[in-house]
Amino acid sequence: MAKFVYSSSPHVKTPLTTRRIMIEVAIALLPACIVGIVYFGLVALLTLAIATLAAVLSEVVYRLCQKVPFKTILKEFDFTSVVTGLLVGMNMPANIAWYVPLLASIFAIVIVKMVFGGTGRNIVNPAIAGRVFAIISFAGLMTTYPSANVGSLSGGFISSGATPLGALYNPDLTNTLTNLDLFLGVGVPGVIGETCKAALLLGGIYLCARGIINFRWPIVYIAVTGLFTVALNGFDFNYFLPSILSGGLFLGAIFMATDYVTSPTTKLGNYIYFVLLGLLTAGMRQIKGTEMVSYCILFMNLFVPLIDKYIVKRPFGYQKPVKVKEDK
Amino acid sequence: MKIKDIALDGVVRQNPVFRLVLGTCPTLAVTATALGGFSMGIAVTFVLVCSNVIISLLRNVIPDRVRIPAFIVIIATFVTIVKMFLECYIPSIAQLLGAFLSLIVVNCIVLGRAESFASHNPVGYSALDGLFMGLGVTGALTFMGIVREILGNGSLFGAQLWSFKITFFTTVGGSFISYGLFIALFNFLYNVIDRKMRHVHANKALSKEVQA
Repeated sequence: MAKFVYSSSPHVKTPLTTRRIMIEVAIALLPACIVGIVYFGLVALLTLAIATLAAVLSEVVYRLCQKVPFKTILKEFDFTSVVTGLLVGMNMPANIAWYVPLLASIFAIVIVKMVFGGTGRNIVNPAIAGRVFAIISFAGLMTTYPSANVGSLSGGFISSGATPLGALYNPDLTNTLTNLDLFLGVGVPGVIGETCKAALLLGGIYLCARGIINFRWPIVYIAVTGLFTVALNGFDFNYFLPSILSGGLFLGAIFMATDYVTSPTTKLGNYIYFVLLGLLTAGMRQIKGTEMVSYCILFMNLFVPLIDKYIVKRPFGYQKPVKVKEDK
Repeated sequence: MKIKDIALDGVVRQNPVFRLVLGTCPTLAVTATALGGFSMGIAVTFVLVCSNVIISLLRNVIPDRVRIPAFIVIIATFVTIVKMFLECYIPSIAQLLGAFLSLIVVNCIVLGRAESFASHNPVGYSALDGLFMGLGVTGALTFMGIVREILGNGSLFGAQLWSFKITFFTTVGGSFISYGLFIALFNFLYNVIDRKMRHVHANKALSKEVQA
């Protein structure tokens, strides 16, 4: 008699495994990486390579220390560390000292991800935490940006150091870049991954098309940030495009804030999360006059468990118990 | 035998900082530098020894119902003495420790030892317990301070070693993370050694049986 296999109900297998999703995200990151390498030269490739290799190696070494056999590690390798490493690298200025991406990647993987239990159990996005770790530790190195090699279309020249975002809030710094420059990233000083918004957008559209992320959330985040910046500056709509096109808002909104592990599970929860994130980002940028996207995402990540606790999906067929008034 | 137990308890088995996780507030706050950790440890040791002795002497006099206020009064006396002494003779350290010097009064380690040990043990043992508990604290805080200062500031006890700094380790966030890592490391080593010691004891007992 044939053996019967007993198992509980969801029997349909989905091709969307963690590994598959992460490979898709890595593919979506490639355009921005390539554009970054074109703009900043081979130094950018080196930075990206160091960050990615450090992330992958530290995960493998950590699991070896846990006495997991090497074959199992290879079998279970799910490319999250590749994505984390790439994102950490993309968040560095191109000509940064070699040890900064190395340490940031190790911190992101070992302390933020593996110590909390590995993939899916981290409380904050590892790449964001790695970036914040690097900013706090090496503030001077992390905030001197080289300008992109390709000059501005309008012929304006911007020295390395002051970002367009700084110029937006500080009237002393003149901003010669047009919105198109900002969108294409030409002549924009900044980290490797954030300069070319077109490439990031391309990656974002790819992810939406493959069903990896919902197109709604990056749009909500970016729109709320832009509109709140406009509102804070006396409803001057000239602020809208520069505020959303400068800084790391696109990179954060498309690839970091939408991380499955550190965003709420329900639709309403996600609306609350991304609207608050947008308000916080715009407000903090206004107060500090500098880029705050990574801090804001880190901060809001900590609220995700709280949002998930109070906003629970209504079970199918559940009705609120009707309160019966007692007759007096 | 009992003295050996007290010593082992204080420094390793019940290390207040790494095993019992008591007195975390000063641990997190003052260990950004090795000097801060060391001087905090010495101050706590002094208060622990003195308060343990006095509480042990008065253990039959203090009424059970008001024992906590009585302990606090005794502890506060010695904390005030330490504070005044440091402010008078070593003002730089008093400044370094700041408010956390006065906060030794509410340090769980001191009150915990008064409650769980000094209030029902003879004077000699209580003094030893205070000394070894204090050594445990001093060792832990100094070790944390050394590591955090080297990593975060590239210096050791104020002497600059190199210019490479990971500033993160001197911040409050770095303090929490390195404290957690130290607890993990200490308990890992403790468990490894504990297991080995048990093997040794078991083998000794076995060989004795075989001989008999």
